[in-house]
Amino acid sequence: MKPDDRGAIVTARVWDIPTRAFHWLLAILIPFSWWAAENDHLGWHRLSGYSILGLLVFRLVWGFIGSPTSRFSGFLRGPGGVAAYLSGRSAPAVGHNPLGGWSVLSMLVVLACQVGLGLFSVDEDSIEAGPLANFVSFDAGRAIAHLHHKVFWVLIALVALHLAAIGFYALRSRNLVRPMVTGSAELPRGAKAPPLAPPWLIVPVATVACAVAWFVAHGLTI
Amino acid sequence: MPTPKALTAMLVAGAVLAAGASTAASLQGAQAAKARMEHMKALGKSSKAVFEQVKGGAPDMAIVKVEAPKIAAASRDLPGWFPAGSGQKAEPKSHALPVIWTDRTGFETKAKALVVAAARLDAVAQAGDAAGVGPAFHDVGAACKGCHETFKAKDKD
Repeated sequence: MKPDDRGAIVTARVWDIPTRAFHWLLAILIPFSWWAAENDHLGWHRLSGYSILGLLVFRLVWGFIGSPTSRFSGFLRGPGGVAAYLSGRSAPAVGHNPLGGWSVLSMLVVLACQVGLGLFSVDEDSIEAGPLANFVSFDAGRAIAHLHHKVFWVLIALVALHLAAIGFYALRSRNLVRPMVTGSAELPRGAKAPPLAPPWLIVPVATVACAVAWFVAHGLTI
Repeated sequence: MPTPKALTAMLVAGAVLAAGASTAASLQGAQAAKARMEHMKALGKSSKAVFEQVKGGAPDMAIVKVEAPKIAAASRDLPGWFPAGSGQKAEPKSHALPVIWTDRTGFETKAKALVVAAARLDAVAQAGDAAGVGPAFHDVGAACKGCHETFKAKDKD
Protein backbone atom coordinates (compact mmCIF):
# COMPACT_ATOMS: atom_id res chain seq x y z
CA MET A 1 0.00 0.00 0.00
CA LYS A 2 1.34 3.40 -0.96
CA PRO A 3 1.50 6.30 1.48
CA ASP A 4 -1.41 8.68 1.13
CA ASP A 5 -1.11 12.30 -0.01
CA ARG A 6 0.36 13.42 3.29
CA GLY A 7 2.92 10.64 3.13
CA ALA A 8 1.38 8.51 5.88
CA ILE A 9 -0.05 5.02 5.61
CA VAL A 10 -3.56 5.05 6.99
CA THR A 11 -4.45 1.98 8.93
CA ALA A 12 -7.70 1.40 10.71
CA ARG A 13 -9.66 -1.31 12.47
CA VAL A 14 -11.71 -3.06 9.78
CA TRP A 15 -12.66 -6.36 11.48
CA ASP A 16 -14.30 -6.27 14.88
CA ILE A 17 -13.45 -8.81 17.58
CA PRO A 18 -16.54 -11.04 17.11
CA THR A 19 -15.93 -11.39 13.37
CA ARG A 20 -12.31 -12.37 13.96
CA ALA A 21 -13.20 -14.74 16.77
CA PHE A 22 -15.89 -16.31 14.58
CA HIS A 23 -13.38 -16.83 11.79
CA TRP A 24 -10.61 -18.38 13.88
CA LEU A 25 -12.94 -20.55 15.93
CA LEU A 26 -14.26 -22.03 12.69
CA ALA A 27 -10.69 -22.54 11.48
CA ILE A 28 -10.20 -24.68 14.59
CA LEU A 29 -13.62 -26.33 14.90
CA ILE A 30 -14.07 -27.46 11.27
CA PRO A 31 -10.85 -29.54 11.20
CA PHE A 32 -11.56 -30.69 14.75
CA SER A 33 -15.06 -31.89 13.78
CA TRP A 34 -13.61 -33.84 10.89
CA TRP A 35 -10.90 -35.38 13.07
CA ALA A 36 -13.38 -36.33 15.80
CA ALA A 37 -15.75 -37.99 13.32
CA GLU A 38 -12.96 -39.91 11.59
CA ASN A 39 -11.69 -41.22 14.92
CA ASP A 40 -15.06 -42.25 16.33
CA HIS A 41 -15.23 -39.48 18.93
CA LEU A 42 -18.85 -38.73 18.10
CA GLY A 43 -19.44 -37.04 21.45
CA TRP A 44 -16.76 -34.49 20.65
CA HIS A 45 -18.05 -34.26 17.09
CA ARG A 46 -21.53 -33.34 18.31
CA LEU A 47 -20.21 -30.77 20.81
CA SER A 48 -18.10 -29.21 18.07
CA GLY A 49 -21.14 -29.12 15.78
CA TYR A 50 -23.26 -27.43 18.44
CA SER A 51 -20.52 -24.85 18.90
CA ILE A 52 -20.47 -24.20 15.16
CA LEU A 53 -24.25 -23.90 15.21
CA GLY A 54 -23.98 -21.26 17.92
CA LEU A 55 -21.30 -19.42 15.95
CA LEU A 56 -23.46 -19.48 12.81
CA VAL A 57 -26.46 -18.08 14.67
CA PHE A 58 -24.23 -15.37 16.10
CA ARG A 59 -22.83 -14.56 12.67
CA LEU A 60 -26.28 -14.47 11.09
CA VAL A 61 -27.52 -11.90 13.60
CA TRP A 62 -24.21 -10.02 13.46
CA GLY A 63 -24.65 -9.89 9.68
CA PHE A 64 -27.64 -7.65 10.23
CA ILE A 65 -26.80 -5.60 13.31
CA GLY A 66 -23.00 -5.95 13.66
CA SER A 67 -20.22 -3.72 12.37
CA PRO A 68 -20.73 -2.48 8.79
CA THR A 69 -17.83 -4.58 7.42
CA SER A 70 -19.53 -7.68 8.86
CA ARG A 71 -23.03 -6.89 7.64
CA PHE A 72 -24.41 -8.74 4.64
CA SER A 73 -25.69 -5.44 3.28
CA GLY A 74 -22.14 -4.13 3.64
CA PHE A 75 -20.35 -6.81 1.64
CA LEU A 76 -22.82 -8.39 -0.77
CA ARG A 77 -22.82 -6.73 -4.19
CA GLY A 78 -24.87 -7.44 -7.30
CA PRO A 79 -23.42 -8.87 -10.53
CA GLY A 80 -22.54 -5.33 -11.68
CA GLY A 81 -20.50 -4.68 -8.56
CA VAL A 82 -18.63 -7.96 -8.92
CA ALA A 83 -17.94 -7.33 -12.61
CA ALA A 84 -16.66 -3.82 -11.85
CA TYR A 85 -14.35 -5.24 -9.19
CA LEU A 86 -13.02 -7.95 -11.52
CA SER A 87 -12.29 -5.43 -14.26
CA GLY A 88 -10.56 -3.15 -11.77
CA ARG A 89 -13.00 -0.31 -12.32
CA SER A 90 -14.33 -0.11 -8.78
CA ALA A 91 -12.71 1.68 -5.86
CA PRO A 92 -10.71 -0.69 -3.59
CA ALA A 93 -12.96 -2.21 -0.94
CA VAL A 94 -12.69 -1.77 2.80
CA GLY A 95 -13.41 -5.20 4.29
CA HIS A 96 -14.61 -7.94 1.95
CA ASN A 97 -14.25 -7.16 -1.74
CA PRO A 98 -17.32 -7.90 -3.92
CA LEU A 99 -16.03 -11.32 -4.94
CA GLY A 100 -14.86 -12.24 -1.42
CA GLY A 101 -18.27 -11.27 -0.07
CA TRP A 102 -19.91 -14.01 -2.10
CA SER A 103 -17.18 -16.44 -1.08
CA VAL A 104 -18.01 -15.71 2.56
CA LEU A 105 -21.73 -16.13 1.99
CA SER A 106 -21.29 -19.43 0.13
CA MET A 107 -19.09 -20.81 2.91
CA LEU A 108 -21.65 -19.74 5.52
CA VAL A 109 -24.55 -21.30 3.60
CA VAL A 110 -22.74 -24.61 2.99
CA LEU A 111 -21.58 -24.75 6.60
CA ALA A 112 -25.14 -24.12 7.78
CA CYS A 113 -26.36 -26.97 5.52
CA GLN A 114 -23.63 -29.21 6.90
CA VAL A 115 -24.62 -28.51 10.51
CA GLY A 116 -28.30 -28.94 9.61
CA LEU A 117 -27.65 -32.35 8.07
CA GLY A 118 -25.60 -33.42 11.06
CA LEU A 119 -28.52 -32.71 13.39
CA PHE A 120 -30.66 -35.32 11.63
CA SER A 121 -27.95 -37.91 10.90
CA VAL A 122 -28.21 -41.50 12.09
CA ASP A 123 -25.26 -43.89 12.22
CA GLU A 124 -25.49 -47.46 11.01
CA ASP A 125 -25.39 -48.94 14.50
CA SER A 126 -28.07 -46.62 15.87
CA ILE A 127 -25.86 -45.82 18.83
CA GLU A 128 -24.96 -42.36 17.56
CA ALA A 129 -27.40 -39.83 16.17
CA GLY A 130 -27.91 -36.12 15.79
CA PRO A 131 -30.16 -34.46 18.38
CA LEU A 132 -33.04 -34.13 15.91
CA ALA A 133 -32.76 -37.65 14.42
CA ASN A 134 -35.95 -38.68 16.21
CA PHE A 135 -37.87 -36.46 13.76
CA VAL A 136 -36.81 -38.61 10.78
CA SER A 137 -37.00 -42.31 9.91
CA PHE A 138 -33.98 -44.62 10.07
CA ASP A 139 -33.72 -44.64 6.26
CA ALA A 140 -33.95 -40.86 6.01
CA GLY A 141 -31.42 -40.46 8.81
CA ARG A 142 -28.98 -42.75 7.00
CA ALA A 143 -29.49 -40.89 3.72
CA ILE A 144 -28.88 -37.61 5.55
CA ALA A 145 -25.71 -39.03 7.10
CA HIS A 146 -24.43 -39.89 3.61
CA LEU A 147 -25.20 -36.35 2.45
CA HIS A 148 -23.41 -35.06 5.56
CA HIS A 149 -20.29 -36.85 4.28
CA LYS A 150 -20.66 -35.44 0.78
CA VAL A 151 -21.39 -31.83 1.74
CA PHE A 152 -18.21 -31.85 3.83
CA TRP A 153 -16.21 -32.05 0.59
CA VAL A 154 -18.18 -29.15 -0.89
CA LEU A 155 -17.20 -27.18 2.20
CA ILE A 156 -13.56 -28.24 1.81
CA ALA A 157 -13.62 -27.13 -1.84
CA LEU A 158 -14.86 -23.68 -0.81
CA VAL A 159 -12.24 -23.45 1.94
CA ALA A 160 -9.57 -24.45 -0.59
CA LEU A 161 -10.76 -21.65 -2.88
CA HIS A 162 -10.69 -19.26 0.08
CA LEU A 163 -7.08 -20.24 0.87
CA ALA A 164 -6.13 -19.99 -2.81
CA ALA A 165 -7.54 -16.45 -2.91
CA ILE A 166 -5.49 -15.51 0.16
CA GLY A 167 -2.42 -16.91 -1.62
CA PHE A 168 -3.30 -14.97 -4.77
CA TYR A 169 -3.44 -11.66 -2.87
CA ALA A 170 -0.28 -12.53 -0.94
CA LEU A 171 1.54 -12.83 -4.28
CA ARG A 172 0.30 -9.33 -5.06
CA SER A 173 1.72 -8.09 -1.75
CA ARG A 174 -1.62 -7.92 0.02
CA ASN A 175 -1.62 -9.69 3.36
CA LEU A 176 -5.18 -10.68 4.20
CA VAL A 177 -4.24 -12.84 7.15
CA ARG A 178 -2.78 -10.15 9.42
CA PRO A 179 -5.94 -8.00 9.42
CA MET A 180 -7.97 -11.06 10.36
CA VAL A 181 -5.62 -11.50 13.34
CA THR A 182 -5.11 -7.91 14.49
CA GLY A 183 -8.28 -6.40 13.05
CA SER A 184 -6.32 -3.56 11.45
CA ALA A 185 -5.67 -3.06 7.77
CA GLU A 186 -4.17 -0.37 5.62
CA LEU A 187 -6.99 1.54 4.01
CA PRO A 188 -7.20 2.32 0.30
CA ARG A 189 -6.31 5.93 -0.46
CA GLY A 190 -9.15 8.24 0.38
CA ALA A 191 -11.17 5.60 2.23
CA LYS A 192 -12.67 6.37 5.60
CA ALA A 193 -12.24 4.09 8.60
CA PRO A 194 -15.43 2.04 8.99
CA PRO A 195 -17.41 2.46 12.23
CA LEU A 196 -17.52 -0.58 14.51
CA ALA A 197 -20.43 -2.00 16.46
CA PRO A 198 -20.36 -1.23 20.20
CA PRO A 199 -18.77 -4.12 22.16
CA TRP A 200 -21.75 -4.46 24.53
CA LEU A 201 -23.82 -5.66 21.56
CA ILE A 202 -21.82 -8.92 21.69
CA VAL A 203 -23.52 -9.89 24.96
CA PRO A 204 -27.16 -10.12 23.84
CA VAL A 205 -26.28 -11.63 20.45
CA ALA A 206 -24.02 -14.26 22.03
CA THR A 207 -26.74 -15.04 24.58
CA VAL A 208 -29.27 -15.65 21.82
CA ALA A 209 -26.77 -17.79 19.87
CA CYS A 210 -25.96 -19.95 22.90
CA ALA A 211 -29.65 -20.36 23.72
CA VAL A 212 -30.51 -21.48 20.19
CA ALA A 213 -27.59 -23.95 20.08
CA TRP A 214 -28.49 -25.34 23.51
CA PHE A 215 -32.16 -25.73 22.55
CA VAL A 216 -31.30 -27.57 19.31
CA ALA A 217 -28.66 -29.73 21.02
CA HIS A 218 -31.36 -30.86 23.47
CA GLY A 219 -33.63 -31.99 20.63
CA LEU A 220 -35.82 -28.85 20.76
CA THR A 221 -36.79 -29.52 24.36
CA ILE A 222 -36.04 -27.48 27.46
CA MET B 1 -46.46 -47.36 -14.10
CA PRO B 2 -44.03 -48.32 -11.33
CA THR B 3 -40.58 -46.82 -11.74
CA PRO B 4 -37.58 -49.17 -12.03
CA LYS B 5 -36.73 -48.22 -8.45
CA ALA B 6 -40.22 -49.15 -7.26
CA LEU B 7 -40.00 -52.43 -9.18
CA THR B 8 -36.69 -53.22 -7.50
CA ALA B 9 -38.23 -52.39 -4.14
CA MET B 10 -41.14 -54.74 -4.86
CA LEU B 11 -38.79 -57.49 -5.93
CA VAL B 12 -36.73 -57.01 -2.81
CA ALA B 13 -39.85 -56.96 -0.66
CA GLY B 14 -40.88 -60.19 -2.34
CA ALA B 15 -37.48 -61.67 -1.68
CA VAL B 16 -37.71 -60.70 1.97
CA LEU B 17 -41.15 -62.30 2.28
CA ALA B 18 -39.81 -65.40 0.60
CA ALA B 19 -36.87 -65.38 2.99
CA GLY B 20 -39.26 -65.20 5.91
CA ALA B 21 -41.50 -67.93 4.52
CA SER B 22 -38.80 -70.45 3.77
CA THR B 23 -35.27 -70.17 5.12
CA ALA B 24 -32.86 -67.37 4.38
CA ALA B 25 -30.35 -69.91 3.14
CA SER B 26 -32.53 -70.62 0.14
CA LEU B 27 -31.73 -67.16 -1.22
CA GLN B 28 -28.52 -66.85 -3.15
CA GLY B 29 -26.15 -64.29 -4.56
CA ALA B 30 -27.54 -60.84 -5.24
CA GLN B 31 -30.99 -61.81 -4.01
CA ALA B 32 -29.59 -62.82 -0.65
CA ALA B 33 -27.59 -59.58 -0.50
CA LYS B 34 -30.66 -57.46 -1.25
CA ALA B 35 -32.76 -59.33 1.28
CA ARG B 36 -29.95 -58.83 3.80
CA MET B 37 -29.97 -55.07 3.24
CA GLU B 38 -33.69 -54.99 3.97
CA HIS B 39 -33.19 -57.10 7.09
CA MET B 40 -30.46 -54.74 8.27
CA LYS B 41 -32.69 -51.73 7.63
CA ALA B 42 -35.44 -53.30 9.71
CA LEU B 43 -32.90 -54.02 12.45
CA GLY B 44 -31.70 -50.41 12.21
CA LYS B 45 -35.27 -49.15 12.55
CA SER B 46 -35.86 -51.17 15.71
CA SER B 47 -32.50 -50.08 17.15
CA LYS B 48 -33.28 -46.44 16.42
CA ALA B 49 -36.66 -46.79 18.11
CA VAL B 50 -35.02 -48.15 21.28
CA PHE B 51 -32.17 -45.64 21.07
CA GLU B 52 -34.67 -42.78 21.11
CA GLN B 53 -36.32 -44.18 24.24
CA VAL B 54 -32.96 -44.68 25.96
CA LYS B 55 -31.67 -41.24 25.01
CA GLY B 56 -34.20 -39.31 27.07
CA GLY B 57 -33.43 -41.36 30.20
CA ALA B 58 -37.12 -42.22 30.68
CA PRO B 59 -37.84 -45.00 28.18
CA ASP B 60 -41.39 -45.77 27.10
CA MET B 61 -41.34 -49.46 27.99
CA ALA B 62 -44.30 -50.21 25.72
CA ILE B 63 -42.13 -49.35 22.71
CA VAL B 64 -39.05 -51.13 24.04
CA LYS B 65 -41.09 -54.28 24.78
CA VAL B 66 -42.17 -54.41 21.13
CA GLU B 67 -38.81 -53.60 19.53
CA ALA B 68 -36.42 -55.59 21.74
CA PRO B 69 -37.78 -59.02 20.70
CA LYS B 70 -37.48 -57.98 17.04
CA ILE B 71 -33.80 -57.18 17.61
CA ALA B 72 -33.28 -60.45 19.46
CA ALA B 73 -34.96 -62.52 16.72
CA ALA B 74 -33.07 -60.73 13.95
CA SER B 75 -29.75 -61.28 15.72
CA ARG B 76 -30.40 -65.03 15.85
CA ASP B 77 -31.17 -65.11 12.11
CA LEU B 78 -28.32 -62.81 11.17
CA PRO B 79 -25.58 -65.36 10.23
CA GLY B 80 -28.07 -66.95 7.82
CA TRP B 81 -28.33 -63.65 5.94
CA PHE B 82 -24.76 -64.14 4.77
CA PRO B 83 -24.69 -67.24 2.52
CA ALA B 84 -21.46 -67.77 0.59
CA GLY B 85 -21.51 -65.92 -2.72
CA SER B 86 -23.70 -63.03 -1.50
CA GLY B 87 -20.83 -60.52 -1.17
CA GLN B 88 -19.89 -57.44 -3.13
CA LYS B 89 -19.16 -59.47 -6.27
CA ALA B 90 -22.77 -60.61 -6.41
CA GLU B 91 -24.23 -57.25 -5.36
CA PRO B 92 -21.99 -54.17 -5.77
CA LYS B 93 -24.17 -52.14 -3.39
CA SER B 94 -23.39 -54.57 -0.58
CA HIS B 95 -20.92 -53.50 2.10
CA ALA B 96 -20.26 -57.09 3.18
CA LEU B 97 -16.51 -57.67 3.08
CA PRO B 98 -14.96 -60.94 1.78
CA VAL B 99 -13.44 -61.55 5.23
CA ILE B 100 -16.92 -62.65 6.38
CA TRP B 101 -16.42 -65.84 4.39
CA THR B 102 -12.66 -66.23 4.75
CA ASP B 103 -12.91 -65.86 8.55
CA ARG B 104 -16.32 -67.35 9.14
CA THR B 105 -15.45 -68.36 12.72
CA GLY B 106 -14.45 -64.79 13.57
CA PHE B 107 -17.62 -63.50 11.97
CA GLU B 108 -19.87 -65.90 13.83
CA THR B 109 -18.15 -65.05 17.12
CA LYS B 110 -19.10 -61.40 16.58
CA ALA B 111 -22.62 -62.40 15.56
CA LYS B 112 -22.90 -64.49 18.73
CA ALA B 113 -21.96 -61.44 20.81
CA LEU B 114 -24.98 -59.66 19.34
CA VAL B 115 -27.25 -62.62 20.08
CA VAL B 116 -26.17 -62.54 23.74
CA ALA B 117 -26.53 -58.77 24.07
CA ALA B 118 -29.90 -58.69 22.27
CA ALA B 119 -31.27 -61.55 24.38
CA ARG B 120 -30.31 -59.64 27.52
CA LEU B 121 -31.96 -56.46 26.21
CA ASP B 122 -35.12 -58.41 25.50
CA ALA B 123 -35.08 -59.97 28.98
CA VAL B 124 -34.60 -56.56 30.60
CA ALA B 125 -37.38 -55.10 28.44
CA GLN B 126 -39.90 -57.84 29.16
CA ALA B 127 -39.11 -57.57 32.88
CA GLY B 128 -40.08 -53.89 32.62
CA ASP B 129 -36.69 -52.81 33.99
CA ALA B 130 -36.57 -49.24 32.67
CA ALA B 131 -33.24 -48.50 34.35
CA GLY B 132 -31.62 -51.58 32.82
CA VAL B 133 -32.62 -50.80 29.24
CA GLY B 134 -29.96 -48.13 28.70
CA PRO B 135 -26.90 -50.24 29.57
CA ALA B 136 -28.37 -53.30 27.84
CA PHE B 137 -29.00 -51.35 24.67
CA HIS B 138 -25.54 -49.86 24.82
CA ASP B 139 -24.12 -53.40 24.66
CA VAL B 140 -26.29 -54.19 21.63
CA GLY B 141 -24.97 -51.11 19.81
CA ALA B 142 -21.41 -52.02 20.78
CA ALA B 143 -21.95 -55.50 19.32
CA CYS B 144 -23.26 -54.02 16.04
CA LYS B 145 -20.28 -51.73 15.87
CA GLY B 146 -17.82 -54.44 16.90
CA CYS B 147 -18.83 -56.58 13.93
CA HIS B 148 -19.16 -53.71 11.41
CA GLU B 149 -15.64 -52.55 12.21
CA THR B 150 -14.11 -55.72 10.83
CA PHE B 151 -16.66 -57.13 8.45
CA LYS B 152 -18.42 -54.15 6.88
CA ALA B 153 -16.89 -51.83 4.27
CA LYS B 154 -16.77 -48.15 5.17
CA ASP B 155 -18.73 -45.79 2.95
CA LYS B 156 -16.66 -44.66 0.02
CA ASP B 157 -17.37 -40.93 0.40
